[in-house]
Amino acid sequence: MTILEELERIVGRENVSGDPAITAAYSRDQHWTFVPPKNPAYVARPGTKEEIRDVLMLANRENAPVIPWSTGINIRGMTIPVADGTIMLDVSRLDRIVEVNHGMMTATIQPGVTFGMLVEETKKHGLRPAFPDAPLTVSAVTNNYLRGIYQTAPRDGLDHILSFEIILPNGETLQTGSRLLKRDLPYFRYGPGPEIASLFIAGPGTWGVVTELTLKLYRIFEHQKVYYVGFDDLEKPMGLLDRVNREELVSGCRFVDTIHWLPPYLGTFDYEYETLPEFVVVLVVENQDRIFQAQDHIVQTYIAESGGKILDLPQDLVDNLKCEMLGAETSPMIFGFKGNFYCVGYYGPLNLLPQYYRDFKENALEIGFEAEDISFYANTIARFHGQSTYYELEIYFDSSDKRSVEMLRTLHARTVANLLETGIYGWFRPYAGVIEPTLDRIGNFADYWKKLQNFIDPNGIMNPGKLF
Amino acid sequence: MEKMSEDVVLRAISHCFKCKLCAIADFHGSDEKWLALCPSGSYYGFNSFYSPGRFEVFREILSGEIDCGTEMLVKVAFGCQLCGACYERCKEVSKVELDNAELFEELRSVLAERGWLLDAHVRIREDVERTGNAYGASEKLEYPSSGDEVIYFVGCTARHREREISEAMVRVLNASGARFTVLGDEWCCGSPLLRTGQRDVASRLIAHNVEEIRGIGAEKMVFTCPGCLKTFKESYSDLGVELLHASEYINSLVSEGRLQPGKLKIALPYHDPCHLGRHLGIYDAPRETLELIGVEVVELSRNRGNAWCCGSGGGVKSGFPEFATWTADERVGEIRETGSDIVVSACPFCKRNLEDSGVKVFDLAELVSQTL
Repeated sequence: MTILEELERIVGRENVSGDPAITAAYSRDQHWTFVPPKNPAYVARPGTKEEIRDVLMLANRENAPVIPWSTGINIRGMTIPVADGTIMLDVSRLDRIVEVNHGMMTATIQPGVTFGMLVEETKKHGLRPAFPDAPLTVSAVTNNYLRGIYQTAPRDGLDHILSFEIILPNGETLQTGSRLLKRDLPYFRYGPGPEIASLFIAGPGTWGVVTELTLKLYRIFEHQKVYYVGFDDLEKPMGLLDRVNREELVSGCRFVDTIHWLPPYLGTFDYEYETLPEFVVVLVVENQDRIFQAQDHIVQTYIAESGGKILDLPQDLVDNLKCEMLGAETSPMIFGFKGNFYCVGYYGPLNLLPQYYRDFKENALEIGFEAEDISFYANTIARFHGQSTYYELEIYFDSSDKRSVEMLRTLHARTVANLLETGIYGWFRPYAGVIEPTLDRIGNFADYWKKLQNFIDPNGIMNPGKLF
Repeated sequence: MEKMSEDVVLRAISHCFKCKLCAIADFHGSDEKWLALCPSGSYYGFNSFYSPGRFEVFREILSGEIDCGTEMLVKVAFGCQLCGACYERCKEVSKVELDNAELFEELRSVLAERGWLLDAHVRIREDVERTGNAYGASEKLEYPSSGDEVIYFVGCTARHREREISEAMVRVLNASGARFTVLGDEWCCGSPLLRTGQRDVASRLIAHNVEEIRGIGAEKMVFTCPGCLKTFKESYSDLGVELLHASEYINSLVSEGRLQPGKLKIALPYHDPCHLGRHLGIYDAPRETLELIGVEVVELSRNRGNAWCCGSGGGVKSGFPEFATWTADERVGEIRETGSDIVVSACPFCKRNLEDSGVKVFDLAELVSQTL
């Protein structure tokens, strides 16, 4: 039997194809200026865990590369094939919300469940998943599994994964955390032994296929207020940012550079953005009655002391942010500026914000980008240990303009080198263009990473070429 | 109808961010409900049937990587109603002006040039060439005529399949005293051929209809078929005639005091036809018509720009009948959620396909005529 016939036997004829009219749709994502397009040989759409297992066993037997693909919202080239004969494992049919547990404040979901689906269901319980600031269409499993949520609000913490189930390349199923002892108690991260689950996180489909994930959920508060505080100086907001995070006063905290970033984020281009100050700090205060008022009073005092100016934005713009906190829908508007959008996302300490900003902007201008194409933002995340902050350095560009693309490649290489030199905590996930120069710098860690990967996937079938 | 250059197509395709927000209805505007919006992707599942994936297929055709008109390729290209929901959402959330439906029509014309077509669509072309209508009907149907103030363009479906719509419209026109005429030799407007990539034949139909219309000298043309109206607005040269959907014309007749409809005093759901709503931006006029005749509109979960397609358009009814039925069944389920087995619409294709899935569909013109 050919591989195609075997796949047909496993997932059914209607759920597999090797026709270029099907495979072409999996050949390219928005990161194509860095990762060239390539069709997989086959696309298979399993409907059950058993079918996933059988496809992996087949691939192992035949030494065929496999790339897990959840809902296809991928902007970093991580599911674009490198090797010939690749099986694209489209698991979007596994889209069941297994459980939303109000008492435990958790959701257990399959990989085809999008954030939109999850928000709709959890909202019925007065709960929500952590705020992804990714399109509502992304897989909640993949987004969490690839590095937790990358724009988590400080209140929510950083890591939302409690336990998961993964099918390994050899077809074995591995449970993590409290699932190990009792499958119907998946609510605790730490099981009876070493916490090996973390080893599996942030591998872009390189160590197996996650088929179920149990996540933390968070309260939706009735009392919520959003402040947009303007500053004309880069250093000035730093005190306010540090203070509200250190004292755990805000559930959301974002620094934006801009009139370039803010307009699309706020949901309209129809606003006199030139009247805005150069930098804006967005603070979200929320809590239950009375605690909220007290907290809000302190935040207002700190804003007044910071020298920033509370911006009087139209209510619909302010409301838009509240909506976006339940799943990003209009924020992808940013892509409309020039047609395409580039960003490098990473974690680093808050106190390096001014340096990150200046370096990136200077480089981009020097390479030839216009000031209006350059954008930057920072989100403080988790509790404030290590001043943990998520950063994005962004360029709006037109990918059909060859010169723009060349400039972008130059900027990218320079930015990654600069950041590694300046110091960051890590990339928001390992992907093409950032992981290669990083592996060179992490010494024996990279060696052990490879050894572990080789142990889990001795035939090297899982998404080859994406890390090593 | 002009061919797009490859550069224009490739540039548009390269701007798709692959966020797939085009596949769901306005989430926050729907009180955080996950409502699918893309019939093609929802039914077939593979990424090629969603806009972002279909764009990549188009790219590979242009680059020559896809060089064979397989059955699957034809299904990917033609298994879509061109309902335009993806574009409506994309321009809303991304401000990227891709006009997906237009690009997919271009894709179809590229396939048609290579002879990669569905037999069912070729038969439509043959029928049109033979009889002047998309159904190959040979009987000559006569309509009354009372003058040259307005031309009522009947269209193939309201003439040969959903005749009660054209009969109702004629009653409305007669009741208003409007001096109207129907083209003596009305040919298909060209829409079914344009939607299926067969542009060359459509050009001949357009030339014929233009000739017929110019001879009359009317100031207005009214349409009960949004597909015909869209084709006249987008693919015909300026005829110096005001082009109106029936709802717009009826509303003007009422406001001028020429038509005095009664009140039905009922509540009914309204289904937005894709050609009328998303493609032509006419959402309010039909609702106003319903209000004028005492029909309280019950809004469906997916309405206006977020409306779920009836399933019939883009050559799907003829090319992929099972898919057309599945799409209609989805909509019928939504209609029944309102507690009604009856729905109002404003398009003969919607009437036909939704009725095939088990609900009673009244066209606006039919309801208005009932009040006279």
